[in-house]
Amino acid sequence: MMHRFTSTRAAAAIGAAAALALSLAGCSGTAGDAEEAPSVLRMGVITNLTSFAPWEASWANQSPYLQAVYDTILRADPDGTVVEGLATEWEWDDSRTVLTLKLRDDVTFSDGEKLTASVAADYLVRFRDGTSENAAYLAGMTSAEAPDETTLVITLGAPDPALPVYLTQNAGLVGSPAMFDAEDAQTTPVGSGPYTLDEDASVVGSSYVFDVNPDYWDSENVHYDSIEMSVFGDPTALMNAVKGGQLDATNTTNPTQSVEAEAAGYTAHAFELNWSGFLLFDRTGEVNPAFADVRVRQAFNYALDREGAIEAFDGGMGTATTQVFGPESSAYDEALDERYPHDPERSKELLAEAGYPDGLDIVMPSNNFVPEANFAINKEMLAAGGFNVSWEETGDDLFGRMLSGSWAAAPFLLQTDPTVWQTVQFLLLPDSTWNPFHVEDATINELAGIIRAGDGPEADAAAQDLNTYVVEQAWFAPTHRPSSVYLTNDATEVEVQVGNAVPYLWNIRPAK
Amino acid sequence: MLSFLLRRLVAGLLTVVTICVVGFFLLYANSSDVARRIVGDLASPEIVARKAEELGLDRPVVTQFADWVGGVFTGDLGRSWFSGQPVVAAISGRLPVTLSLTIGAVLLTAIVGVLLGVAAASRRGAVDRAVQTSSIVAAAIPGFLVALILALIFGIWLRWLPATGYVRPEDSLTGWLSTITLPVIALSIGAIASIAQQVRGSMVDALRLDYVRTLRAHGLPRHRVLYRHVLRNAAGPALSVLGLQFVVLFGGAVVVEQVFSLPGVGQTAVSATVGGDIPLVMGILVATAILVLVVNLVVDLLQAWLNPRMRMS
Repeated sequence: MMHRFTSTRAAAAIGAAAALALSLAGCSGTAGDAEEAPSVLRMGVITNLTSFAPWEASWANQSPYLQAVYDTILRADPDGTVVEGLATEWEWDDSRTVLTLKLRDDVTFSDGEKLTASVAADYLVRFRDGTSENAAYLAGMTSAEAPDETTLVITLGAPDPALPVYLTQNAGLVGSPAMFDAEDAQTTPVGSGPYTLDEDASVVGSSYVFDVNPDYWDSENVHYDSIEMSVFGDPTALMNAVKGGQLDATNTTNPTQSVEAEAAGYTAHAFELNWSGFLLFDRTGEVNPAFADVRVRQAFNYALDREGAIEAFDGGMGTATTQVFGPESSAYDEALDERYPHDPERSKELLAEAGYPDGLDIVMPSNNFVPEANFAINKEMLAAGGFNVSWEETGDDLFGRMLSGSWAAAPFLLQTDPTVWQTVQFLLLPDSTWNPFHVEDATINELAGIIRAGDGPEADAAAQDLNTYVVEQAWFAPTHRPSSVYLTNDATEVEVQVGNAVPYLWNIRPAK
Repeated sequence: MLSFLLRRLVAGLLTVVTICVVGFFLLYANSSDVARRIVGDLASPEIVARKAEELGLDRPVVTQFADWVGGVFTGDLGRSWFSGQPVVAAISGRLPVTLSLTIGAVLLTAIVGVLLGVAAASRRGAVDRAVQTSSIVAAAIPGFLVALILALIFGIWLRWLPATGYVRPEDSLTGWLSTITLPVIALSIGAIASIAQQVRGSMVDALRLDYVRTLRAHGLPRHRVLYRHVLRNAAGPALSVLGLQFVVLFGGAVVVEQVFSLPGVGQTAVSATVGGDIPLVMGILVATAILVLVVNLVVDLLQAWLNPRMRMS
C-alpha cells in the first residue's frame, strides 16, 4: 500500500510541476502579449548580417539591419525613384562624370559626432577599397571630395548612370568616423539612423533589438519604438513563427509559403525580383561551336515551355518572359515576351537549319541547392525541342567555374535591376561578370554607350533597341520572373521595394 | 581518490588537445573558399583576395595554428570570420541556451526515466509492458519529428507556448520557462526511453539478488528496499548511460535549436562548420570538449562514490 501511495504522490508531484510550468508559460504568454505593443515591430529576416561596418556591408536581405542604424546618402522610393536622403540636392555635370551633392547639416551620429561632407567622402572611398561584395559599385570612382562642410563631389572615370541608385544602397551608407579604427566595427554600429542597436538584448546571428533614436532628424519616417529582428535559417521554423503569430512582418524563403501564411491570417505581398531561365554564354562557340549560331540560341528559346516552368518550379507564381530587363525598366517591352512561344517543332526546324537535324548535345551544370527534379524537368523540356542535355554535377565551385566559361549554357536565377545601365553592366558588356566568354558585340556597345551617357528620351529609345536586339540575338533564354513574397499580419502594412528583396524599413508601418 | 581524479584529468586534457589539433587541420583543409563565402558571390576576385589577406588566410596553416594556440593561452580565441564577434563572446552568449536545454533534458530524463524504470521493474505485468512498449516507440521516433509535432500542437494550434524563439532567464524567468519547455521535452523523449529501459533492466537483476530477499525478510518497507538499496545498486549503469546521454543530448540540441529557432551553440556550430568559420568552430570544439570532459569526470566521481571498487580499477 505504501508503495502505491508513494507512486501516486510522485505522479501527482510531476503533474503539479507540469501544470505549474504550463501555467507559468501561460502567464508568460500574457506577458508576451503585453510586450507586443503596437510600437514594437517583430520582423523575421532570412539572412545573417555580414557586417555592420559599412565598407563590408551587403544589401538586399540584409538591408533592414543596416537601415535601422544608418542613413544612406540618397534613398529610393518603393518604385525605385531616387529621392533625398542625407543629401537634399544632387546634380551631374555636363560630362556626367561629376556628381555634386548637398548634404543636410542637422545630422549627428549616435556617438555625438556631426555628419559632414568630409565624413561621407571618407566612407565612399572606404567602401570602394573595402570588402563589400558590392565594392565594384564604386570601382569607377576616381575621387570623393568635400570642398565645404555640406558639399560632396564624386568624380568618376567614365559616366555611370546607376551611381545615384548605388548611393541609396550599401555604397551610400555613412557611419561615424569613430568606426574606421574600431576593432568591433563589424558588430557595433555607430550611425545616424532611426534606431540604435541594443547590444545587450541582441544575440549576434540570431536576434537583434533596435531602440528608437529619439533625436532622429527624420522622425516622420520612424513608425515604431523598437524593432526586434529574428533570424530564421530554417524555413519550417520561419513558418512556425508565422503560424504561431510571433511575427508582424517577414520575408519568405519560398513564395509557396504564402498559402500557409494566408491561411494563418497574414497578407502576402507578391513582387518580382529576379528572372529565371538559362544563360546562353557561349555566343562565339568556344565550348560548344553550335552556340555561335543565333538559330541554335533561338531554337533553345522556342524549346522552353515557360508557363510549364512557372508551374513546375514556382508553384504557378510568376510571370513568363523572354527578357532580362524588368518591367520597371525603360528597356522593357511587353510585346517581346511573345517572341518565343513554346514551339518544340520550330526549335527542331531551326536546329536542322543550323546543321543539327539529329539534335544537339549540350552539357550544363547541375548543383545540389536546387531540387534534383528541376534538372530532370529541364532536360525533358529541352529534349522535346531537340537538345540532348547532360548534367555535370558541381558543388561550391559552381560560380567559379561558370564565371570562368566552363559551359556554353547554364540554368540560373539572376536579379533584375531597377536601372537599365545596371543590367547592361552586369550582363552585356565584354567585361561584365555574367559575360564569361567576354563576347563583344558592336551593336550592344553602341547602344550601351548612349544609355551610359544620357538619361533622356534618347537613352530610353536606346534601351528599348538594346533589349529588342538582345532578345532577337537570343543571348539568354529566360523562362519567367518568379514571385517573391513578403508577409505582414493585420497590424502591419507595407510597400514592397522595386529591386530589393525586402521592403525598405520606413515602408513598414502599423496598419491604419 | 586523488590519483584517480588526476588520471582522469590528464586523460581528458590529452583528448582535448588531440581534438583541437585534428579539428584545426581538418577544418583548414576545407577552408580554401572561405573568403569567397564571406564576401559573397558577386564580389570580384580582387575583393576576395583582399578579404583572405585581411583574415590571414594567405599565411601557412602552421603559422595560423600557432597563432590560434598562442591566443588560447591568453584566453583569446579570435573573432568569427563571418560576424566579427569575439569567439569567447559568441560562445558565452549561446552556451547558456544549449545548456538550458541539455541540463533541463537530463533532469527530466533522470526523473521520469528512473520513475518509469522503477515502476516497470517493481510492478511488472501491464505496467512493465506499457513502459517497455512506449520506450521502444519513443526511442524510434526521430527527435526532429517530436519537436515539429510539439511545435505544431502546443505552439501553433493551442498557442500555449511559443513555437519559436528564446527568452533569457535574466529578462523573464517565466518567459525562459515558456521557451525551453517544448524543446526540453522534444530533446528528452528518446533519452527517457533509454534510461527507463536501463533502470528497469538493472533493477530486475538487482531484485533477484539474495540481499534483497534478506532485507525484505527483515521487514524493511518495500519502497525503502527499492529506492535506498536496490536503486542505489542499479544506479551505476544508469548513471553511465545518463552521462552518455548528456553528450548525446548536447549533440541532439542542434536539431531542436533549428526547429525552435533557438540561439544555441548547436545551430551556430552547424552554420560555422558549413561556412568554414574556423575560429568559431574551434572555440565551440574546445568548449564542448571541456564540457564533455567535466561531465565524464563528474559521472566517474559519482560512480566511484557509489562503487568504491571502481576507484581501484
